[in-house]
Amino acid sequence: MTWSVTEIATLATKAARGGGAPPEQAMRFGQAVAIHLQKNRATAALMTVLDALPEGPILNFPLAIDQALAATEDADRYVDAPDGELLTSYIETLPFETHLVVSENGGLLLKLSHDAPRAKGGAKRIEGCAALIEKMTEMAEKTLVPESESSRLSGAGAGLTDND
Amino acid sequence: MKDVLDPPQAPLRSPDTVMRLARMGSMFPTRLSFLRVLMRKLAAENVQVVRPVWEIDAQGYGHAVYTVTLGGYRYSLVAVANELPDDQRTDRVIATAWDTAYVLFDGEPDAAEIARICAAAPRQEAARFTERDLVLSRANKSVRLFDHVVSKLRAGGQPDEELVRQTGYLMRTTAVYGNGKFGIADRACFEHRPGMGGSFAAEMLTVWLIRQFTHDLVEYLGGATLDRRLKRYLGIGNSTGLGMAPFLVNHPVLLNNWMIARETALARVRAIEHLSDQEAARLIELANRAGQHLSEWHVPDQQHQARIDDLRVEWASVQDAFVPSTLRKPGAIEALMQRAEAGSLDLQELMVALVIEPFGAVVDGLADCMSDPFGALCMPLADTDVVRQQIEEQAQWALQPDYEEPSGCQQFWYVSAAKQEPRLGDRFAEDGAELESPLDIGRRIKALHAALPERNLPIVEFLRDHPDHAMAVARVALADRYPYGEFRDNLIGSGCLPIDMLRCKLSFFGASKFDPKSDRWTRITLCQGAPLADELQDGADDWWLPVFGG
Repeated sequence: MTWSVTEIATLATKAARGGGAPPEQAMRFGQAVAIHLQKNRATAALMTVLDALPEGPILNFPLAIDQALAATEDADRYVDAPDGELLTSYIETLPFETHLVVSENGGLLLKLSHDAPRAKGGAKRIEGCAALIEKMTEMAEKTLVPESESSRLSGAGAGLTDND
Repeated sequence: MKDVLDPPQAPLRSPDTVMRLARMGSMFPTRLSFLRVLMRKLAAENVQVVRPVWEIDAQGYGHAVYTVTLGGYRYSLVAVANELPDDQRTDRVIATAWDTAYVLFDGEPDAAEIARICAAAPRQEAARFTERDLVLSRANKSVRLFDHVVSKLRAGGQPDEELVRQTGYLMRTTAVYGNGKFGIADRACFEHRPGMGGSFAAEMLTVWLIRQFTHDLVEYLGGATLDRRLKRYLGIGNSTGLGMAPFLVNHPVLLNNWMIARETALARVRAIEHLSDQEAARLIELANRAGQHLSEWHVPDQQHQARIDDLRVEWASVQDAFVPSTLRKPGAIEALMQRAEAGSLDLQELMVALVIEPFGAVVDGLADCMSDPFGALCMPLADTDVVRQQIEEQAQWALQPDYEEPSGCQQFWYVSAAKQEPRLGDRFAEDGAELESPLDIGRRIKALHAALPERNLPIVEFLRDHPDHAMAVARVALADRYPYGEFRDNLIGSGCLPIDMLRCKLSFFGASKFDPKSDRWTRITLCQGAPLADELQDGADDWWLPVFGG
């Protein structure tokens, strides 16, 4: 079975929320997962950070990246996070052309071009990550409100015949 | 934007004026609506619709395939019709069976692909689809009109015009899924293709082809040709529920791009100082058409019908402005707008849509700016003082409501475990508020404002201790570049009517004849008055506010 990029991003967002991540961090994780899996990067890192919720890289990576982005134009943009494929995936979700380089002092430097917007999303089909999908599906289900009669009747508007 | 030189424009209406639920719930379709944009593209390419497969039995069940070539690419609608017991016919997302199901396929499907789609499409959300499937949809019959039209055609006659006028469609879609849902293609797979880059272009193409199928199906079953005038009036219905509301809140850049294109169109038109005789005549013609449209717009809901009735009266009261001598005076468009501003929001927004309509030359290029290929092109705000300043300058709307009062937080948005249907609950009467969806943007911004420290801090340092405020910080950061990206109202207050958000989005689709069934779902008609497949070269762009026989 293959998955669309949007499905994966949406599922990963919900999974992170189900694991206790706030909405913004969950959304950014979803975008990063979509990039990560399109690039055939290892799923183990994703499983690990999901297990670390409600703390860990899903909360910390966006802060580290935003700190680098907030640096003044002429300052070096250091990313205070451990290097790895998942961090690269996060960097590649930014809407500008960006990449990471290791500086002479061993720090991670974020290089970006403001005048080079990068198209979001991607179109590569995703496959071969059944265990991750299963895990994310289980976590995402924690965001759903169980069905009840009153919810079914009033929650979305109902009650009219549709045989007209 | 394709325009070589931007035309002059008047000031934009303020986001504080425009981005209010009540006003957005009064919007009408314009020539920038996605169906209108698509029709112009189809006409420009003189697109031909062919039907290579028609495997429908005498009862109307089976499948058919329609193919078009657009921008050098072929697309095929595979339509599947099955028998549906009346007790299973529901417009709700929680339905599990439908009269018809559809896939817009990328290319021309071979027999194996058709067989796959015929097996999968009727199962909708329960099935899996492929990257060749661009859009997934389903539609139920308007039983009363569908059966009536077939029986009349069989008897050698034509359907009752009043019944056609009352209903306006033979089937109504209850979902039109795009962008990767259930395994179908991501939008990124095809958005670069000519004709498919606009918002919801693939979905609109699907809807237009479904309409064609409904026409063909009644003619096949009736054994006769439906009067062309009636056929053109028969659009495709749609039932829309709460799912559209979270979409808009979760896509602030897209919402901004839609709204700012529309507002820029209005601003350009308002800057036109002198109208030609031809332009004045066109405005008069359209004003008359709008009056007829309103007179043909009837809904069962008494409250909404009263609103339509009021608008008819208001519209009649401004007709004296639509005379050549008045319209040839300098600043006539601006005068029309100012006249409307003394009336209801419905009147104002109808006038907006009207004055934009004749001026395709100065507004149509804006359609190229209505998608969102990159996401939010802005940098994080640096520190807490900047965040506070931004909130106080750009988000006063969020600070005003009292979200602690019961009426300020009466409702909560959530997703049900039943087919993941988006729903809206009463916080004080229903369970589930602890799983609330984060659509409470105003409340979040106000909470952020209250939590900001007196001593300035780097925003990252603040968020390290307050991670729950990250979403509000991100939304505040958007406000400078995307000022039309937020509903500037309390989306969890007791006064929030989701139907307003639905109407905003549906008007961008090109919907008309809004027929609210409650404050949280509505029926509409799409493609009513739109050119038929063989009419693309004949008035393809003149169907704003369709009227019977128009």
